[in-house]
Amino acid sequence: MTKTTVSLEDLGGKSIAIDAYNTLYQFLAIIRQPDGTLLKDRTGRVTSHLSGLLYRTSQLVERQIKVIYVFDGTPPALKEVEIKRRMRAKEVALVKYEKALKKGDLEEARIYAQATSKLKDYMADDSKKLLTLMGIPWVQAPSEGEAQAVYLAKKGDSNFCASQDYDALLFGTPRLLRNVTITGRRKLPRKKVYIQVLPELIELDRVLKELDITHEQLIDIGILLGTDFNPDGVKGVGPKTALKLIKKHGNLEKVVPQLKEVEFPVNPQKIRDIFLNPEITTNYKIEWREPDIQGVVDFLCGQRDFSVSRVQKTINKMTESLRENKSKVTLESWFS
Amino acid sequence: MFRIRVTDAMLLRDMITAISTLLDEATFDISTGGIKLRAMDPSRVAMVDFEWPKKIFDEYVCSETMKLCLNISELLKLLKRARREESVELSLEEKTNRLQITIKGKYLRTFNMPTLEPIEEEVPIPKVTFNAKAEITTEGLRQAIEDVSLVSDHVRIEIDDEKITMRATGDLMGATIELKKGDVAFLGVETKEVSIANFSLSYLVEIIKAAAATSEIATMEISTDMPIRLDFKQQQEGKLSFYLAPRIDVE
Repeated sequence: MTKTTVSLEDLGGKSIAIDAYNTLYQFLAIIRQPDGTLLKDRTGRVTSHLSGLLYRTSQLVERQIKVIYVFDGTPPALKEVEIKRRMRAKEVALVKYEKALKKGDLEEARIYAQATSKLKDYMADDSKKLLTLMGIPWVQAPSEGEAQAVYLAKKGDSNFCASQDYDALLFGTPRLLRNVTITGRRKLPRKKVYIQVLPELIELDRVLKELDITHEQLIDIGILLGTDFNPDGVKGVGPKTALKLIKKHGNLEKVVPQLKEVEFPVNPQKIRDIFLNPEITTNYKIEWREPDIQGVVDFLCGQRDFSVSRVQKTINKMTESLRENKSKVTLESWFS
Repeated sequence: MFRIRVTDAMLLRDMITAISTLLDEATFDISTGGIKLRAMDPSRVAMVDFEWPKKIFDEYVCSETMKLCLNISELLKLLKRARREESVELSLEEKTNRLQITIKGKYLRTFNMPTLEPIEEEVPIPKVTFNAKAEITTEGLRQAIEDVSLVSDHVRIEIDDEKITMRATGDLMGATIELKKGDVAFLGVETKEVSIANFSLSYLVEIIKAAAATSEIATMEISTDMPIRLDFKQQQEGKLSFYLAPRIDVE
């Protein structure tokens, strides 16, 4: 699959629909104290995600990128297996985290702490509140946020869809961006090594052309490898085999009889349906406004114990670049 | 089949330098008549419109119309190695789809680089009726723009019946530059009405500096709050024009 590395500067002037839950989870995993404890306000409410949202979003806005966040609604019933699996994984991680803490191994503790990240309803609500104050539009998806973000991209309401999850390609996004909200220097786990993370662009048309398959066939390959709806995929089938099988036999139905021991937790046709016809809403409004500077300060500093000087500096800088952007016109205004 | 040759490497180098001020990658339209390029920079604020008829080249072989996309910054690195008396030949290796760059001079050098997936998008010319036009020496324009860029990152350009005025106001300093009848750099104005527009200097400085190497006379066309068109007259029949969108002040 061809990925093109792009810089945030190249994305200036473009709009990006960001999978909000996906991003908030990243913030919850990354933004922690050295021993893995989350940032919290004086009443114990988690604020790591708000810190991430404020600083990352303003960085994108300063590069003249127009961001839209898309929040998950109720997950499709088919996702139950995956959700249960994730809950179990988090419980296991929590036990290991506490063990490591007792041993005094901070490095180890931090790694397990990251895997315990849970996104509670109040965190999503706080995030939406902050975005509104920052003048950043957000869309509430009825079901999968990713599917809704893809709809925005397909409809032309955004130029790109941003998520770490390749599922967005299965939902049919024309252009998927990865690493947008984690661009920069990142430490590799368990190593004292830092790497430079850059955004990657993956174009669906190009992928399909290069692999010489259809969108439906790509979905079938995804199902063989495992999606959120059948997390385990098919045992013994990796990317190369999946591509070969689908190309040879045409579709999943014809591939299944060729395999031994194939078991799907749900009917694969239903999974395919979710990707082809996901539940989305056409009822949303996208509008970028000037930030309510005082509102952001009151909320983050007054209620969530952020440092006034840092928040003020960030939000002022963001407001300035928004004004600067307005004074910049593209030649496209003279094309029609 | 595509092959071109120039006996003076500088010609090619200066032209590619001018294009590189806006583009890292460029898709050239190549036909039996010559080479054309019209493209916007990634932020879509500026456009280059470039034409090189076949007679400019010492050798021009093209069997069919094609699009050729190249990494301009990489190509420029190679061309910068060529000296004035040296000849440069570019040819497309059809089997591998790579561009071969041959520099002949004190010794023979052959480089090759990949061609890229061409961009199919056709860029139109901005629809603007220009109400004021001024002709000046490219060197004079370059000096004036460098003067104003000392105090600010944007400039207000005004053309009336007699002169061109460039004004810039920075945080600390201000500048006013006038070019009028009698000045060596000034070659004439034609105005339907007095026109004023603001532009970002970062673009203007780069464009004019690079174009100055290829041209002695520049034509500047503006209309109030509309894009500017800069045309740099080429010694032979080539064409090198730039468009730049204005800055609109919000407050």
